[in-house]
Amino acid sequence: MTERQSASGVADAAPVVLEMKGVTKTFGPVVANDDISLTLKRGEILGLLGENGAGKSTLMKILYGLYSPDKGSISIEGEEVKIKDPKDAVSRGVGMVHQHFTLIPRLTVAENIVLGAEPTKGGRVDMARATRDTEELCERYGLRVDPRSRVSDLSVGVQQRVEILKALYRSARILVLDEPTAVLTPQETEDLFSVLKELVGDGLSIILITHKLGELRGVSDNITIIRDGKVVDTVKTSDTDEGELAKLMVGREVLLRVSKEKSEVGEVRLSAADLVVKGNSGSVAVHGVSLEVKAGEILGIAGVDGNGQTELAEALAGTRVAESGAVLLDGEDITKVGANGRQRLGLAYVPEDRGTKGLVQDFSLSENNAIKTYEKAPFSSRFGWIFPKAMRRSAAENLRAYDVRPPDPDARAGSLSGGNQQKAVLARELSGDPGVIVASQPTRGVDVGAIEFIHGQLLKQREEGKAILLISLELEEVRSLSDRIIVLYNGRISGEVGPDATDEELGLLMAGRGMDESA
Amino acid sequence: MSEERRDSGDSFLRKSLRDAGGALVFPLIAIFIAFVIGALLVLASGNNPVAAYVSLIQGAVGSPTAIGRTLLNATPLVFTGLAVAVAFRAGLFNIGGEGQVFIGAITAAWLAVSVGFLGIAAIPIVLLACVVTGFIWGAIPGFLKARFGAHEVITTIMLNFIAINLATYFALGPLRSEGIVPGTETIEAAARIPAIGLGLGRVNYGLAVAVLAAVVIYFLLWRTKLGFRIRAVGLSPGAANYAGMRIGTNTVLAIAIGGAMAGLGGGVEVLGVYGKMSIPFVSNLGFNGIGVALLGRNHPVGVVLGALLFGGLASGAQEMQFATDVPLDLSDVLLAVILLLVTATKLVELIIGKRARALASGTRLDEGLGN
Repeated sequence: MTERQSASGVADAAPVVLEMKGVTKTFGPVVANDDISLTLKRGEILGLLGENGAGKSTLMKILYGLYSPDKGSISIEGEEVKIKDPKDAVSRGVGMVHQHFTLIPRLTVAENIVLGAEPTKGGRVDMARATRDTEELCERYGLRVDPRSRVSDLSVGVQQRVEILKALYRSARILVLDEPTAVLTPQETEDLFSVLKELVGDGLSIILITHKLGELRGVSDNITIIRDGKVVDTVKTSDTDEGELAKLMVGREVLLRVSKEKSEVGEVRLSAADLVVKGNSGSVAVHGVSLEVKAGEILGIAGVDGNGQTELAEALAGTRVAESGAVLLDGEDITKVGANGRQRLGLAYVPEDRGTKGLVQDFSLSENNAIKTYEKAPFSSRFGWIFPKAMRRSAAENLRAYDVRPPDPDARAGSLSGGNQQKAVLARELSGDPGVIVASQPTRGVDVGAIEFIHGQLLKQREEGKAILLISLELEEVRSLSDRIIVLYNGRISGEVGPDATDEELGLLMAGRGMDESA
Repeated sequence: MSEERRDSGDSFLRKSLRDAGGALVFPLIAIFIAFVIGALLVLASGNNPVAAYVSLIQGAVGSPTAIGRTLLNATPLVFTGLAVAVAFRAGLFNIGGEGQVFIGAITAAWLAVSVGFLGIAAIPIVLLACVVTGFIWGAIPGFLKARFGAHEVITTIMLNFIAINLATYFALGPLRSEGIVPGTETIEAAARIPAIGLGLGRVNYGLAVAVLAAVVIYFLLWRTKLGFRIRAVGLSPGAANYAGMRIGTNTVLAIAIGGAMAGLGGGVEVLGVYGKMSIPFVSNLGFNGIGVALLGRNHPVGVVLGALLFGGLASGAQEMQFATDVPLDLSDVLLAVILLLVTATKLVELIIGKRARALASGTRLDEGLGN
């Protein structure tokens, strides 16, 4: 921590390395960036905070040369520059770590790092030197990675480190990280932040893009908040708190913590017994999971992304066939029942991916609203006809009840913001008064305002005595909503804890420790 | 409440009109640009573009005979355009229209001779048979895709060869007539689709069948459960699967229905125009259907309009070649440029500016025309 203080002290007086002034970028009628200005000093970690769609990524894509701004200027080290393309950005010392890694899994760490900028000897790639260079880099910045190991064998946290090394190898002085913690466990996040602090101690400057309020607290010096394409404010991290940040980000008071009433827990509604499910690659993703969800409770499933959550949810909802084991709804075996049938029996499913599963983007909201019920009256007749008017009427009702904007049944689903799309999915799934709800990452990529609404709806369903299974990568969400929490690791349950479990406890379970007693 | 209702109904009507207008503007721009480019070509070849275009238009719509020729050309293209459009709505490229036409044609040529004694009553029976054989032939690539993942572009192309050769074998083998012209026996006049008359030349009630087919496909796609499924599968297989729709079944059905349309088109050609299947049979109907569907944005109404444009250019070009020194092939150039512009929206954007993008919605291959 003392090191932190000094870094921040240096940052105040340090020279400005990057200045973006009056940057404006429009896409058709949409103003993505509206006169945005920000400055980054040497040795500073600047948090770039904003809701999804606020314009953070557009701004960084401009900096990285992927878009050219309509107006405004960019100065690096005091010199005004026009960044033509990513290659140009790299040559000016800008490095970018994307949310989705750009590594080639079959290649080694060193091969990935030098790819595109390989050291050569007599026209051939000098792998020995590449390995040596990588080792040197690792040592210099205190990043522990074996240059010879294959990327596919590395954990996500280490892969991210390789991405950072890739930027450093190209002599990045300004490092941009786009939502870097989305894929990490709490411990890995800690590790990443201590790496970042070492980097700025070495004179680098870092921009950290995030929509998570809490995580900037321990790491950034200043925070620039963007809302609707405009800079709302730039604040010193030490002078602010989460409540203020949330308000700046959303533009109004936000309820950060949900207040949860005690509820009557009833009978077991949904249960799984020894469920084994294969993933898309054909390998087993869920290894014999058993669980029970009772009426009036929310069972949270925590875990790092890709530990079988998706497959488990799909097997429970019926969109994926289980290899073995059983799914029971109200004591009845529904393992052989398809998604449609399960829905008719009162199982609602909010899929994690509203873009490709929850909604047909090019369908209207009214068609999407009826996509599971189009075969029933009043949407269709026995003779195969459908009635668009009836669909439109029902959609209009649902959209209004769930505050979807715009509440226009003829609007194309894809034209809505993420939060409103998710509300539209929720409206459809919950309107049929289901007894059991499987909600997979219901607030992924959704803005704070919509999160508040969705959480409220889930709690309302719980109070009405519904059995809810909530899968989420956001620990805070799982903790604040759930009555019990199960942690998945490598497709197995690594433990069950209460909602008051600490970050450390959950983190250990998410990393697979504590398996022995339950596996 | 009532005011709100009226308001939404009103805006819906306006929205539909705006959509229809928007859908037309882009192809019209493409056609205009194509004609400008065509004019330059005519000029470069030392001819007068004004004279060429006047005779082109006269040849397409200048007289009842010209209109008749245009309609006659357009009729089969409506069917093959629909064959592509229905499949496309399910996210599939049906390149097999050509073969499906041949299957329908040989079916008609065979059955109409056998049941010709029924007179006019034979016509619906024969056309129904064409629908069935076209459907079955179309179902093959659908099944191969759904069951084994074989790409429909490859399989439909390959099935074209099989269908063409199969139909040719029957027409020149077991079903060959005694006559001089190679092909099947001539169908009794009473069992053929009668001409409309009105000075329109050989235009027959097959045109009515084509329009009816377009209406049926429209209702199928937007007013039935099956159409709802087909469109959902085409736009988002993931979401359709999640909603409990069977991707495989709908894949087979969509391409089979497309095959039925093309098969019907083949039957209408035999019953309405030729009265038999002579070898070589009329070719490229299936392939031109792809262009018709593209131009018509895979919408039944657009397909009819696209077919009329194709048909009109073909008949106008004959007149143009006759009246001026400009060769027939100019119509092919025009069509090629139009299709290029309609599909390559970016290109038009370069030519007429950014506003094109808003107008172009629905023409790109990767999106459908919202309802």
